[in-house]
Amino acid sequence: MLTELETTLLGVMMMVIMLGMGASMTPRDFLIAFRKPKGILVGLLSQFAVMPFLGFLLAVALGLPPALVVGLLLIACMPGGTTSNIFAYFSKGVLALSIMMTTVSTLAAVVMVPVLLSFYGGLAGVSGEYAIPAGNVAQILVVLLVPTALGMFLRKLNANVGATVELIGSFMGVAVIVFLIATWVPRNYQLLLDTPAHVYAATISIGLIGMLFGYWVARGLGQDTSRSRTISLETGIQNGPLAVLVITLSFSVAMQQEVLLIPFLYSLFIVLTSTVITLWYRRNATREALARDAAKLGTAP
Amino acid sequence: MTVSNRPWLAAYGAEIAPDLPTSEYASLAHLISRTCETHAKRRAFTCVVPNGMNGTLTYRQVGQMSDEFASFLRHHCKLAPGTRVAVQLPNGLAYPVVAFGVFKAGCVLVNTNPLYTPTEMVHQFTDSDAEVLIISDLFADKLEEVVAHTAIKQVVLAGVAEFFPRIPEAIVRGVQKFWSRALPPVPSLAVPVLRLRDALKIGRAHDNVHDWDRLRRDDLALLQYTGGTTGVAKGAMLTHGNILANLEQVKIMGGRHMSGEDCVLTALPLYHIFAFTANLMTFFDLGARNILVPSPRPVQNIQRALENYPVSWITGVNTLFNGLMNEEWFAAYPPKTLKAAIAGGTALHQAVAERWQAVTGTRVAEGYGLTETSPLVSFNPLDQPVRVGSIGVPVPGTDIALVDHNVEPVEQGKPGELLVKGPQVMLGYWNRPEDTAQTLQNGWVFTGDVAIMDEDGFLSIVDRKKDLVLVSGFNVYPNEVEDCLAKLDTVLEAAVIGVPDRTSGEAVRAYVVQNPDVPDKLSKEAVIAHCRKYLAAYKVPKSIILREELPKSPIGKILRKDLKAEARAEFAGKA
Repeated sequence: MLTELETTLLGVMMMVIMLGMGASMTPRDFLIAFRKPKGILVGLLSQFAVMPFLGFLLAVALGLPPALVVGLLLIACMPGGTTSNIFAYFSKGVLALSIMMTTVSTLAAVVMVPVLLSFYGGLAGVSGEYAIPAGNVAQILVVLLVPTALGMFLRKLNANVGATVELIGSFMGVAVIVFLIATWVPRNYQLLLDTPAHVYAATISIGLIGMLFGYWVARGLGQDTSRSRTISLETGIQNGPLAVLVITLSFSVAMQQEVLLIPFLYSLFIVLTSTVITLWYRRNATREALARDAAKLGTAP
Repeated sequence: MTVSNRPWLAAYGAEIAPDLPTSEYASLAHLISRTCETHAKRRAFTCVVPNGMNGTLTYRQVGQMSDEFASFLRHHCKLAPGTRVAVQLPNGLAYPVVAFGVFKAGCVLVNTNPLYTPTEMVHQFTDSDAEVLIISDLFADKLEEVVAHTAIKQVVLAGVAEFFPRIPEAIVRGVQKFWSRALPPVPSLAVPVLRLRDALKIGRAHDNVHDWDRLRRDDLALLQYTGGTTGVAKGAMLTHGNILANLEQVKIMGGRHMSGEDCVLTALPLYHIFAFTANLMTFFDLGARNILVPSPRPVQNIQRALENYPVSWITGVNTLFNGLMNEEWFAAYPPKTLKAAIAGGTALHQAVAERWQAVTGTRVAEGYGLTETSPLVSFNPLDQPVRVGSIGVPVPGTDIALVDHNVEPVEQGKPGELLVKGPQVMLGYWNRPEDTAQTLQNGWVFTGDVAIMDEDGFLSIVDRKKDLVLVSGFNVYPNEVEDCLAKLDTVLEAAVIGVPDRTSGEAVRAYVVQNPDVPDKLSKEAVIAHCRKYLAAYKVPKSIILREELPKSPIGKILRKDLKAEARAEFAGKA
């Protein structure tokens, strides 16, 4: 559980992150992105069709208790996290696509997350006190759109301020995960020890399977390897801190503890798994570049 | 020897005065000093880095800071007038402050490419005998290898974000240092190293005496190094009068389309003579605003500069225009404030010119020039219909001649080597009387370019004399073949050279790059079929080589000489 102060702090950090996300783009970037929307549409498909379904399958297959099901479903339905942009950068992916996907999925989340949550929640038999009120999620997301818009406005007003806010936002993206881990792990190490292996498996695999499917869905729909890797990371990396915020704002302090388990574990492990996957993708990207160089030399008569 | 009736004078029309007025200034320092007073409150330079962070200097600030830098050079470094000062900076706010300071100190500016290797730096600094070096802090790691071999006695470091507001400057430096790890530590050298801000502080402590009062138009202003045909870089000696004349010439050709309200995109490097005269000096003289982009590669680095400022003029080379149009953000939303673009540096391909007009709704006027002529020789009058493929007419005050191998004038309409005479012609090459004698005869510059003049006096460059490919005794001009290749949608860019051939002596070889925005695959067969349709058989490339990219010079000229060197190595191996 988080104290009230920590919850407030988390909310503020999320706002700074969204402010930074808004400042990272201009209205024109949107217009341009939607002139050739295929990459983004493919991304949205893997974000909101593949991930939630995977989350649901995992929850059912592992026979998780309702509190954990809610946590897992919530993570699966979340939009892309802003940290995905950093990983996209390091994996030599398509940074512009990553930023746009994060933004568009966050916007779409206002509608998609409540709908998906109640749909899969219903299917998984989550009800009563464990159901997250759809209005709550929508409200939080809408509130977060305000700093996003403000960020865009700041960028327009003064490019120096905009770029500075953008940078602070991306630092905050990492800081918030450190913050969550630092506040939660020391108080809950007993809970971590008691948590059965299959729960760990669920939290780790939701990200990894998401990346795997994200890649192949993108490849299947005609995206090149570099864009597919970007979509893959974007799909697997969810906005974990946002899930934590939704939970702390939706559940009583007593209930939070259990529901928060998976989002916390996810936020912790996704940093590790993404790092490994990023290194692997980076090697692939380098290898492809070298292969292209070799092909160039090969064409000489 | 000149074209006797000067048919181009008729093309000037009412807009262009045929007589070149003498500049009202005695020197560039005089011009800078006066302009900074006249336009004191206006914004002179804005530097924009890729994430949109920026810094601006007003005319007053530029005047003040360049005074301080001049005092630093004269009184702290104790430089005598005429001493060479090497400046090795990418586009940024430090560049005008430093370059103008050099002029105000009565010293000679040695423009140096920041990407030079230590070997190239040593050559340029010893050849010019430079005593002070101002270098980008990104390349400070090269100093250890260089300085000891030269006469340099003071080094000044400047950052890319120099003179930005404090926080953005700290962020840019932080990113360079910790994120991209591009900022090397300052090496310990036998000579003193200062940061530019500190040098200005030292200069401020000295009285600002107008050392430049004694400068005259025929005093040396720049040593502008150029590769030339021999490959060893040599310094073209350009005087204050050369540059002053040339910027008058640019202004006359720009006419009413250029004013102090303009905002010019400076993505080409200022250490190159094209941007130096056209952007830095001409638009500064007008009281306009220069938007400086430190590095235009990748082209996306220009996006925020174009989005955030009302750019009305762009100077560029073929590859830059082509690159911009291949960016979706540019092609879909070209700048609304744009009036025209100036192309130079290398041949502008027809296909690129036409697409530019279609995409932006403005024209791209091609000019022609060379380092030896400060640089502008000819330009297309802006009020006349576009003449595709023409480099325009000689600018006022300039005479030209087209001659054959025996330096006899060719008939009108026939190709001949272009010779140029005018107030913008250099004094010669620094310490190289033999090279000077070869290039400069009786005031005429032998350009090494083959040109044709039509009956209206409009010139077209056929090609570089030395790039001609001789196929079974027929002349093939690589430009013509490249132009044909560029019309193919699947081709992003192309370069053509001659390679040895057993049957025809030389054969045409084309290097082509796939256009990534076109789904169709580029195939050798399709390229050859396309060329067969438009070119005589002997001009059709015998071999086609697909490449990911082509070698380019710092301003984006495609370097045929590098491809030729590659081909030489390849064929030497076969022999």
